Amino acid sequence: MTSSAGDVRAAVSRLREAGARLRRRPAAETLAALARVLDAWRDPASRWRRALERELPGAAGFTSPVVREGMALALAGWKGEALLALVDRELGGPRALDGGDGTLASPFDVTATLLAGALPSPSLLALLAPLAVRSAVLARPSSHDPVTARLVAESITAEDAGLGACLEIVSFPRGDDDALGVFLSGDCVVATGSDATVRAIAARVQPPQRLVTYGHRVSVGLVGPEATHGEALGAAARGLALDVSLWDQLGCLSPVSVLVVGDARAAVGVADALAVALRDLAPRLPRGRVDPAAAAVLAQERAAAEMRAAAGREVFVRGGRDEPFCVVCEDDATLRPAPLHRFVRVHPVGPDGIGDALAPLASHLAGVAVAGFGAGERRLLRLLADLGASRLCRPGRLQGPPLGWHHDGQGVLLPLVRSTDLELD
Amino acid sequence: MSARLSGGDPARADLDARVLDWIASWRGEPDAPEDEVRFDALARDLFAFQLERCAPWARFCAARGVTPERLASWRDIPPVPTASFKEIALRSFPAEREVHVFRTSGTTGERRGELHLDTLALYDASVVPSFVAHVLPELARADGRPARRLALRALAPSPGEAPDSSLSHMFGVLLRRLAPQLDAARSGFDVRGGALTFEPLLAALESACADDVPVALCGTAFAFVHLCDALAARGVALALPAGSRAFETGGFKARSRELTRAALRDAIEGALGVPAERVVNQYGMTELASQFHDSVLRFPRTPRRKLGPPWARVRIVDPATGSDVSPGEVGVIVVVDLASTGSVCAIQTADLGLSREDGFEVLGRAEGADARGCSLGAEALLVGDARA
Repeated sequence: MTSSAGDVRAAVSRLREAGARLRRRPAAETLAALARVLDAWRDPASRWRRALERELPGAAGFTSPVVREGMALALAGWKGEALLALVDRELGGPRALDGGDGTLASPFDVTATLLAGALPSPSLLALLAPLAVRSAVLARPSSHDPVTARLVAESITAEDAGLGACLEIVSFPRGDDDALGVFLSGDCVVATGSDATVRAIAARVQPPQRLVTYGHRVSVGLVGPEATHGEALGAAARGLALDVSLWDQLGCLSPVSVLVVGDARAAVGVADALAVALRDLAPRLPRGRVDPAAAAVLAQERAAAEMRAAAGREVFVRGGRDEPFCVVCEDDATLRPAPLHRFVRVHPVGPDGIGDALAPLASHLAGVAVAGFGAGERRLLRLLADLGASRLCRPGRLQGPPLGWHHDGQGVLLPLVRSTDLELD
Repeated sequence: MSARLSGGDPARADLDARVLDWIASWRGEPDAPEDEVRFDALARDLFAFQLERCAPWARFCAARGVTPERLASWRDIPPVPTASFKEIALRSFPAEREVHVFRTSGTTGERRGELHLDTLALYDASVVPSFVAHVLPELARADGRPARRLALRALAPSPGEAPDSSLSHMFGVLLRRLAPQLDAARSGFDVRGGALTFEPLLAALESACADDVPVALCGTAFAFVHLCDALAARGVALALPAGSRAFETGGFKARSRELTRAALRDAIEGALGVPAERVVNQYGMTELASQFHDSVLRFPRTPRRKLGPPWARVRIVDPATGSDVSPGEVGVIVVVDLASTGSVCAIQTADLGLSREDGFEVLGRAEGADARGCSLGAEALLVGDARA
């Protein structure tokens, strides 16, 4: 149902009252309730997960197996106790919220969260994190996922009705400037989206409001000499195929390109293995809906690769026109447009060329799946961190970030509070 | 700029002559059944010719099992993706005969598409009747003699200032060839040094209003936005004389605030007094020699749709299969342009469209849509090939 500016204003008003009640409760009690909510979501047989598998495909275009397996991997490490550990790590424990000695963490009364995209696990965390610091949450779901936020709200209410009253979901169209204006009156605003979206929101949020933003990002795979042959190649290819196939490559942790350190032959070997792995995985994880606009770009980029090959470049295309993936083995390390929807480019790169190859992505790099670098790996990891990557892991693990992942290099809870240091001794 | 014919290749000269003959004889009439036969025959010959001379395209087609001998219809010609014009010089003539290159617009550092030409003769010949039929139809109907001379203002840099802009070139050709039918004193270019020269333009428009001279105001969509904004900032709302019209083309990305096509028409009507139904959008591409236009002036009182000249045709295809979609179904726009004799005659755009009666509608590239994911790729793929 569409919310008017008046509806949004009323929701903010209710949330201020509910948030005040929440902050009178011990933080540990709230965190325990949220930990139980997380544990319920981790259970694949829970009503929330079953409802998500049933309802999200129609709305977001993913297939049910992708939702099932994607959530299983995403939530594998998101145990209730991981939330408590996160509070310890970032805030110094629940006492920081109640009033202890050390650093005090003061929540904002209302956190307004603009959800984006169709991936459910980021939405789940985006809704729970403000509650964990005892801020009431006003959320606007993305048009591509009207399901997750509603189910999360229901799951919280089922666990703790008082906590459930601290989360309200509003829905208004993109052009409703009045409703957006009221929405952005939250004491803390969390926005996820493209650079343009984030800029537009930032222009409307003024101090003393807190603004926390997450931009669109991109991930890549890096295959070193030790993973370009034998079983190590197969394992890397299977892992990368999983990273690509889950969420149909639409997430910021989905690799769009794979750099292979070695010559053109090594890159072709990785491209072939990746194509085989994607083909093998497709029956288990069928690709979801491809909208006409995306299909147009897929066709354009595939045909452009075929034209480069026809023009004499050493470019190879793997995956038939009727197959739900495409692997393009390029003959250089120049990054090209990423059509997504399981379209991967494989590039050869010299051992000293990784930094230059990834430099164009530096400000937008999220995760890198790394395999096959042996003793030289530590130096490489430093380089990738300096380039801006916020997550380095093995192939097959990109879609399962830990609860405390420093998304965009930021903390999860820390940006949502005002910190006060006590120096009275 | 010289518009000499390409020389040295009799087969090419024959094809050029056949296309020029068609162009010269067209007066804006609706397509006739015999046009399809003529188009198919010429397309087959042109395809065979270009495959012999453009090796990348020949290999591309061979990989799909398509040869001129096996071609059942012009609809089976494998189109070249527009992205390839950024990376491959697609010539059907020897490189040493090149006389001109048009380039797509692009931001700094972005690779730009290129159309290589060994002659501008077909390009220039194709521009005029198509523009006249869709933007100045009274010229076609009145044997080149309009009731009143129009002022043609081009909100674009002159060809001298932007030699690689196909749009500037087009306006240059129109101003030159239509000069006898135009109010020459009030016609000209209105962008210099990359900016709208507002004062001279305003003076010309006010003078046209005072003397009741209709204006054909032509330019990029973002230039119209700048003009409308500049007029609003001055508190000026013009009412251009009856018979005036506007012609806009291209996108907005990073050049101005973005408007829907309908909102742009409304803005033009509000700022300039040109009724929305007299605003013609051109769907053109640097990679092509021919363009498509809104039907509103050529066939008023019928639904707005894109129409082209008979020597350029559009297919709406399923991007996954390359087959034509059913009428009214959304697909990718493929253009076969017989005036593109020097490069390749069939291109596949990244634009979505659907067929509308005897024409089509351009749906664009879903710009501004909410991305389904949070990957940067979703943004990068929106980078356009807007012509300017």
